[in-house]
Amino acid sequence: MSTEAKELIGTQSKTSTLVARNLKKSYDGFEAVRGVAFEVHRGECFGFLGPNGAGKTTTMKMIYGAVIPTAGELEVAGLDVRRCERDIKRRIGVVPQENNLDDDLKVKENLLVYGRYYDLPRKLALQRAEELLDFVQLTEKADSKVEQLSGGMKRRLLIARALINDPEIVVLDEPTTGLDPQARHLVWDRLRALTSEGKTLVLTTHYMEEAARLCDRLVIMEGGLIIAHGSPKELVEKYVSPQVLEFRARPEDLERLRPVVEAVSDHVERTGEALLAFTSDADALMEEVRESGIEVENTVYRQAGLEDVFLRLTGRRLIE
Amino acid sequence: MGAIRVPSPRGAFRVWQRNVTIFRKYWKSIMFPNFVEPLLYLAALGLGLGAFIQQGGINGQSYIQYIAPGLLASNAMFAASFESTFNTFVKLKIDRIYDAIITTPINAEDVVAGEYLWAGTRSALYGTAFLAVLTVLGLGFGEPLVSSWWALLIPPMLLVIGVMFSVLGTLFTSLIERIDLYAYYFTLVVTPLFLFSGIFFPVEEFPAPVPQIAWFTPLYHAVNVCRALATGPSPEVLWDVAWIVVFTGALALLPVQIMRRRLIG
Repeated sequence: MSTEAKELIGTQSKTSTLVARNLKKSYDGFEAVRGVAFEVHRGECFGFLGPNGAGKTTTMKMIYGAVIPTAGELEVAGLDVRRCERDIKRRIGVVPQENNLDDDLKVKENLLVYGRYYDLPRKLALQRAEELLDFVQLTEKADSKVEQLSGGMKRRLLIARALINDPEIVVLDEPTTGLDPQARHLVWDRLRALTSEGKTLVLTTHYMEEAARLCDRLVIMEGGLIIAHGSPKELVEKYVSPQVLEFRARPEDLERLRPVVEAVSDHVERTGEALLAFTSDADALMEEVRESGIEVENTVYRQAGLEDVFLRLTGRRLIE
Repeated sequence: MGAIRVPSPRGAFRVWQRNVTIFRKYWKSIMFPNFVEPLLYLAALGLGLGAFIQQGGINGQSYIQYIAPGLLASNAMFAASFESTFNTFVKLKIDRIYDAIITTPINAEDVVAGEYLWAGTRSALYGTAFLAVLTVLGLGFGEPLVSSWWALLIPPMLLVIGVMFSVLGTLFTSLIERIDLYAYYFTLVVTPLFLFSGIFFPVEEFPAPVPQIAWFTPLYHAVNVCRALATGPSPEVLWDVAWIVVFTGALALLPVQIMRRRLIG
């Protein structure tokens, strides 16, 4: 086990509700998850970031029992996933990546029928269904057919469905993928409301903004491994300098600019049409660039963010 | 992983209940074709072909009296087969209903058992309606198509027969990846059973090995049971019931394990 993994486990505290050690999953020789360790505290929002194929969904599925680990340990709400699948499933809620609402049932019926899977008494299920439809702002659609809902509404209904059993832990696999900005903001708002109620959220995403806004702590996965972990702020501090200058110019000017910038920056990256310089003193850097006399069409100054960390760690090439 | 999974009755009941909820909304449109089909056979073969069959019919029955109870059995086979093939496939691979259910305290094995029960229920429901029609039609013809009070045992028996064909259909479903492969199941399994299980002619009177082969097939015994109950059974019918129960019991857990492996990675 890497020292990083050991560090991450730390001493197992009473506040942990999800603990993985050296967790692995392989399918016919392909290792989707190659030994990960993490610990999720009760009441926090914990994120799994990573490009497609990093092993995020497989990890989520191991948590809710749709995939059985090949090796290692995984405890959910203090229970072993291999021995207590029914008890674990009783205590968690799942928002899957792909919509699997029951199209033969209307919006509210989806919640009621789902409530029966948890043996909820009819009255309680009805009461919760109404509260949850209100919570996800779908009360007016209670008697609509599922197929008449927009993508954002379906996602909200999936979230409501995952809450019908009042779970301790809610697992969300890419909760906002494919949603328009308005729908995404509404989902974020509802998820924050859940954490303020004290629920533990575990989510995957490849939107940095989403991770930065929602997650207390997160891990970055690539190729079935955890390659970094910490709070969004810690990750930015650890892996990139706080300020970023993006220079845009003709390609030949960018090439001339590069050594100038490299001399005074902590780190420089070249994208298709821009040069990115990471620094803690943007003013000094700007001064150098001005003095060099190289013609720069456009300069953008911004704070470094998770996206910079992510791209630094996982590379700028397209990962499929 | 290697341990054999046994379904929980509670979980199976919840899955059955979901299907009942949906059936109650659409039952008229769902039931109609299944209900009409045996009437078409009854009209075309029972009345049409039956008119050319000599007086005296088969075993002392007119031709329509002979085939009517057999059609009860085949109707149960068709109802359970459609349920466990196309309907189950859609829930498994297209609508992904099972993926949603197994994130709740209901396990993959409960889903399969719930579907068996539901297919059996559907078979019994259709069979009951069809049995009522046969009884009334018989009164109209002046020659009873159902002539024994034992016929009241036909609906529960159709439930068992439905479960049996659901196990077979689910076994096929658990092994295929593409929905068009059902053409093989219906052409090579369901249709031959329908034609050669003693519904339309007595297979016992053919030379060996025809009756022996028939004995090893499921619909043959289902037809025997339905015919016996419709006309007043002899104790021998218990062998057919036992065959159905043993065959179903021996096979039932196999699709459960295969389907579990498809649903759980």
